[in-house]
Amino acid sequence: MSERHESPASVLPSMAVLDADAPVIALAGQPNMGKSTLFNLLTGLNQHVGNWPGKTVEHRAGHFDLNGRKARLVDLPGTYSLTANSPEEVIAREFILREKPSVVVAVVSAATLERSLYLVAELSALDAPLVVALNMMDVAEQEGIQVDAHVLEAALGVPVVPMTASRAAGVRELLKVVENVLNGNQVPRPRPPEVRADHREVLEKIEALISEHVPAPYPQAWVALKLLEGDAEVTRMMREALLPETWEAVHEILRAHDDAFLAVASGRYEWIGRMLRAAMTRPKVGQIGLTERLDRWAAHPLGGLFLLAGILGLVFWLTFTLGTPLQDWLEGSVIAPLSGLVAGALTGAPFWVQGLVVDGLIGGVGSVLTFLPILVIFFAAFALLEDVGYMARAAYVMDNLMHLMGLHGKSFLPLFLGFGCNVPAVMGTRVIDSWPARLLTILIAPLVPCTARMAVVAFIAPAFFGANAVWVTWGMVLLSLLALVVSGVALNKVIFKGQRSAFIMEMPLYHIPNARTIGLLVWQRSLAFVKKAGTAILAMAMLVWVLSYLPNGDLNTSYLARFGQFIEPVGRWMGFDWRLTVALITSFPAKENVIATLGVLFGSSPEAGLTEMLTASFSTATALSFLVVTMLFIPCMATVAVMKQETNSWGWTLLSVGLLLVISIAAGAATYHLAVWMGL
Amino acid sequence: MLEKLLAEIRSGGTFETGVLAARLGTTPALVEAMLEHLQRIGHLRPYETCNDACGGCSLKSICKSKARTDAVRLWQI
Repeated sequence: MSERHESPASVLPSMAVLDADAPVIALAGQPNMGKSTLFNLLTGLNQHVGNWPGKTVEHRAGHFDLNGRKARLVDLPGTYSLTANSPEEVIAREFILREKPSVVVAVVSAATLERSLYLVAELSALDAPLVVALNMMDVAEQEGIQVDAHVLEAALGVPVVPMTASRAAGVRELLKVVENVLNGNQVPRPRPPEVRADHREVLEKIEALISEHVPAPYPQAWVALKLLEGDAEVTRMMREALLPETWEAVHEILRAHDDAFLAVASGRYEWIGRMLRAAMTRPKVGQIGLTERLDRWAAHPLGGLFLLAGILGLVFWLTFTLGTPLQDWLEGSVIAPLSGLVAGALTGAPFWVQGLVVDGLIGGVGSVLTFLPILVIFFAAFALLEDVGYMARAAYVMDNLMHLMGLHGKSFLPLFLGFGCNVPAVMGTRVIDSWPARLLTILIAPLVPCTARMAVVAFIAPAFFGANAVWVTWGMVLLSLLALVVSGVALNKVIFKGQRSAFIMEMPLYHIPNARTIGLLVWQRSLAFVKKAGTAILAMAMLVWVLSYLPNGDLNTSYLARFGQFIEPVGRWMGFDWRLTVALITSFPAKENVIATLGVLFGSSPEAGLTEMLTASFSTATALSFLVVTMLFIPCMATVAVMKQETNSWGWTLLSVGLLLVISIAAGAATYHLAVWMGL
Repeated sequence: MLEKLLAEIRSGGTFETGVLAARLGTTPALVEAMLEHLQRIGHLRPYETCNDACGGCSLKSICKSKARTDAVRLWQI
């Protein structure tokens, strides 16, 4: 096919080579309905491309053989409606109204009739002879959608021709119908949507006021309707055409019914709904049916929460059942022997080199890396849930719960992102327009349990709680979410005074999981974790080791011990010694540093790994308290930085940090004393 | 129908298209068509889940993966 891009002046005269009586067929339709495919199919090489006069909108016109008779074909710009929202819409309707094409072919997609029929609703209100080309029947069939063209034709009152332009199927039938309409053998009698009863009287008043003043060639009823819809072009035209006092009367009516545009559009959608109920059947079995059935539970406000809790429990059980033996093996059979081997190899090296490599590098970063198998399984489980389409439901039911508690609906997105990392969770609050609501969400977003915090829990829980680690971890997540809801409700009463806004989401269909997508997600997340272990965690492990070594090589009198002992009284409330207190503080740059720090401070030996050292050193009550504090402790440095950036206030940032500090210490102390009281 | 949809949305909260469709007695596909209509006339705004809000986050490559960006379509009022 050859296309010549020509100036507007040359496009239109080129059509003049045809017989002046040649019928003009206009192709109308929304974008992506296959209108251009049909145009190319019919015109082939006989087409010209330029711009519409005075516009930058592409003009495509051509001619074709209509059963032995030459006909002009004009491809109107793709438009969603005929209201003057864009230059394309103005061009399309002006062409139909002014040039009065012999036939207007509305190209609609059988697969997306809900969207396509809006333009048909508008076209059927014009005087032009209308034919509907029901395109993309193949796509509809693939999706299990059945459209009965005969029923649709009867409902619309205009000829409807099913076709698949991409395969040239049904084109001959379309041309036959167009020819019948041209010859008068078939007369379209469109049944356009009616204006709702409560606006009909208004419309009649406007029509009465503008009658005899409507410029040709615009139909009076159409102009009245467009005035009611608030169409800018028609309003301007009628303001100029009417006497000032008449215009004032019209304007007064329009001002009193400034929501009429919604009523008019609403009437069209009700009309579309009726057409679809009559002529279209969407599949009830298969993927869509399955999604609906599953969502009765998964998206149910209460049932969905129970299901979420169950799924989380299953994920943790799977993670620990498969991951803990691997982690034990790595710790006992790789890291501990490696530590002994390297210590032996460095016997001649200065003591600080031995300490830095064995305690700092292997003890710190090595310990962190041992729970990579746990994380890989954890990442894989979440990637599977995400790929199947469940995570959107999880966030939805959580958000429903928060909304019931008076929290902001838009906090859905931060929640959704926060399970991965709190940084995008805070950034994600940009979606919220209302400042108090946004601030509230920023303040509580760090309470969403991120993967880094979950990694720490995944390391400590199996060490202390064995088979019960699943329940403990599950309880930690619920505790975090409970703290989030309670804090949100409390803060809401103070700073966010009942303002409401809305957020609408289109749930994805459930999918059969794709192994490649899941593999890619697990790979990316694991790689990001290993990179973090090799950079931020390594740096912190080294710093902790140096501070634990200086000034005289004795841990108990080191700078770190002095600092730890200084703040130990606070740690004691929660059952911590100075080492646990310091480990908690080092989680500020990155949450995983907790394990690296414990690795440096407790070390590992060929006889016992870090987990054995920890279980030998602390009670179950202390471990439980430590987990609670870890889950609720102040956000990491990166999160604090974005909180400052997003709130543009150190005051609010520090308030959030202080709030979490108080919550975590209070919850930790309560947990510890309760556990001791229970004899743990 | 469009007015009822807008009234539901304006009541505040997070809505799912299937639930809105059930409340309006229609199909999710028609609700989506109406949401797109409301977006075109400026009553709703679409929201991209992964945009430059993630700048600086070490996990942004994860968020921009296909599985996540395809996950949900969102609008806000």
